[in-house]
Order: sequence, then C-alpha cells, then structure tokens
Amino acid sequence: MGAFVGLIKKDLTVALRRKETFVSMVFFAILILFIMNMAIGMGEKISPDMAAGILWVAVLFSSISGLGSTFSMEKTNRCIDGLLISPVHSATVFLAKMTVNLAFLSLAEMIIVPLFLVLYGNHVQSLHLSLLLIILLLNLGLTSIGTLISGITAGSRRNDVLLPILLFPVITPLIAFTIKATGALFAGAPFQEYAPWLKLTAAFALIFSTAGYFLFEHVLREN
Amino acid sequence: MAAGDKQPVVRVEGLTMEFHGIKALDDVGFCLGRGEFLSLFGPNGAGKTTLLKILGFLLKPTAGHVWMNGQEPDTRNGNARKEIGLVSHNSLLYDDLTVMENLEFYASLYGIVNPGERIEALLGRVVLYRQRHLMVKILSRGMQQRLSIARSLLNEPSLLLLDEPYGGLDPSASAMLTSHLKELRDQARTIIMVTHDLTRGLEVASKVGILSRGKLVFLQNTDGINPENLSDHYHRHLEVH
Repeated sequence: MGAFVGLIKKDLTVALRRKETFVSMVFFAILILFIMNMAIGMGEKISPDMAAGILWVAVLFSSISGLGSTFSMEKTNRCIDGLLISPVHSATVFLAKMTVNLAFLSLAEMIIVPLFLVLYGNHVQSLHLSLLLIILLLNLGLTSIGTLISGITAGSRRNDVLLPILLFPVITPLIAFTIKATGALFAGAPFQEYAPWLKLTAAFALIFSTAGYFLFEHVLREN
Repeated sequence: MAAGDKQPVVRVEGLTMEFHGIKALDDVGFCLGRGEFLSLFGPNGAGKTTLLKILGFLLKPTAGHVWMNGQEPDTRNGNARKEIGLVSHNSLLYDDLTVMENLEFYASLYGIVNPGERIEALLGRVVLYRQRHLMVKILSRGMQQRLSIARSLLNEPSLLLLDEPYGGLDPSASAMLTSHLKELRDQARTIIMVTHDLTRGLEVASKVGILSRGKLVFLQNTDGINPENLSDHYHRHLEVH
C-alpha cells in the first residue's frame, strides 16, 4: 500500500509541477467543442447521438495528451530502471498509473462537460445523474487500456505518434457504446433502454483493467 | 572475504546471455564475499552492463545461475530485489522532485516506514543535507551522482552494482565519488563496478576482472597489481580474445 500511495504521490507531484499535461488536455477539448459548435451553426438542430459523439470525441482527444505523458517522466534519467530494480510489483505500478490518469481525466471532464452543456445544451432533451455513471465507466475503460498501451509505446522514440495509432482501433468499441448510452440519455430514454450499453462499457473496462494488471510485468520489462 | 564470513554474497556460474544468437555473455563465473569490491573492465560491447542487468534482475540470462547469500533468488518475489542497489550513469532520479522527495519516493517502494532519519543520515554521508529541498534538475552532475549513491543505499543492499558511475563527472566530482566508494568499501559492502577507467577502478577495488566479448578472461585480487601492469593485462587479454 505504501508503494501504491508513493507512486501516486510522485506522479501527481511531477505532473502538477510540469502543468503542461493538464493544460494541453483541457485546451485541446475546448478547441474541439468550439470548432464543432461553429461548424454546426446557430439555430441548427443535431441529434442527441451526434451531440454525444461530439462530447466523447473531445474527451478522447483530450485524454491522448494525458496518457502520452504517463511514462515520459520514467524515461528521463531511466527512472524506469529504478522501478524495475525495486521490490514493487508491476501490477502496483499499473494501478497507480491508471489511478493518476483517471484523476486527471476526471478533472479535465469537470471543465469539458459543463462547457459542452453550455455550448450544446439546446441539443440535449434530457439530463440525468446517470451521466455520471457513464462518465465513470468510460473513464475506467479509457484509462485502463490507455495506461496499458502507453506502457507498450513508452520504449518507442515516437511514442506520441504510436500511442493514438494503437489506441484508437482498440478504444473504438468503448467510445461507440458510450455514445449510444449517452445519446439515449440525451434523448430522454429510460435507464433500462441504455443499460445494455453501460454493461458493455463496464465489461470493456473490467477486461482491460484485468489484462493490464496481469500483463504489465511484461510491458515494463520491454522498456 | 571478511574473517569468519564464509558465505559468498554473490556467486555466479556459467552465466550466458544471447541476443539474437550473439553471445553478450559467455559462461561467466565468479564469487564475491562480504566486503569485496570487484572492478570489471572491458571495451564497449564486452558484456559489462548486461552482467549488471542480470545481477539486478533487469534481464533473465539465457543460461547459468546466480546465488545471492547462498540462495538462488526468486525474482518474482520482491524480497530478492531488496538485496540489490544500483548506481548507473543514468541517475534514476526524477528531475521535478526535490532531493528529499526522490528519496522518500524510493523509500516507499522499498516499504521503509518512517524513512526520515535514514534519509537525513544518508544525505549527511553524501554531503547533500543542505541541498535536501532543491530540485534534482538544478543539481550538478556530481551532486546527482552522490544522490544516486544515497538512493541505492536506502534499502541497505547486500550487493551494490555500479555501472560506469564516473560517466560525465569532472575531475573534482570524480575524486569525491572515489572517496565515497572507498568509504562504502570500508563499511564491508559487496560492490561490483563496471568502468572503462583502469586507474580509478583499481584505486577502489579489492578484485579486478576483464571482460572481453562476453568472456571473463581475467580475474585476480589487486595485491601486486598496479595501474601499469593492469594496463598490460588489459591490452594483452583484449588482443588474445
């Protein structure tokens, strides 16, 4: 437990001192939301599914910036060797990195989601607290697979290029499930109607969290 | 070996490492007791760093065995890793953390509870106590290397591995590092250092070895060895192999 807390504290301290990760995450999402809003035009109506798509595409692109920096601090001065030579289990490193990514993504969404509601609120027919559940499940899925793949690409010199190339195809089903669930919620459908999409999202998050937990030993050693 | 202490701290037998059919290490074997300091020399690509990576559990050998304190360590068990300290030419330190924060972080990885006193004592020994609240990125290369030594000693390792610790140091920082290494040697720590620098390596060692193309071609106590005849040995063995 001490190592888990120590890893989280270290990652948060470094990320907060560098600042650029969080700033670029939020800036990128804001840019997407404004550009899409201008493209749709004043007074034009879009479907709830499309509004949901805009929200999650903004979140997805914003998360790439955060996920890409997960291991950058470990590459400087070969700090990764310090982790590998220590007695800490690789699964603990995975869980700590995933928790930090989850924290930063959730923090970014605290800015992105309200801004989305301001800009696209007229396309949303219904809003319910279950949006928080959708956000939580998406975040778990996105950060589990994102942490695993950012670990895989960390050893590459072109980490920034490789990460989206590997991540996007794998993450597409998760984004599709989330858009379907959010679209139904925005359209005012009852919870039972979009619950199957949430179950798929939860299954996705569970599978990739488990995979990361057991595979991270091999991922770290390849760096 | 220290008197009355017969158990070797590290014993290596038939250690072989192949990368894509090329032998980086070829049937390497040696034994070190408590307090022995082995300086390993060899040209680039001789297998020195590969050997240290195997001893530090960063690589699994293709063949051969390593015994630590009489037991073959189970690398899946974190306890085996508690016996190892590593100082390399990379500092393994986080630039955006202070000196104290770096050591507190590593202490948490090794499960050291209330590490404050130990950290302060180590910082005193490497003469960095006054710099404890400074960010690592503003420390000089020599200071970072001294902090690396403090980091590697946090867990009181039985075996300390030093990979080219003189890399990038100016003469005064090198002299300071030599004095710290002598201090560690005098505390009866078992140390393996790989280096290109014959003079500095010999100055601190109790045993010297030469690796050439993955083979340990020379291994001897330092009694009767001086920089001149070590240089002769070095060049003769590299020519033969």
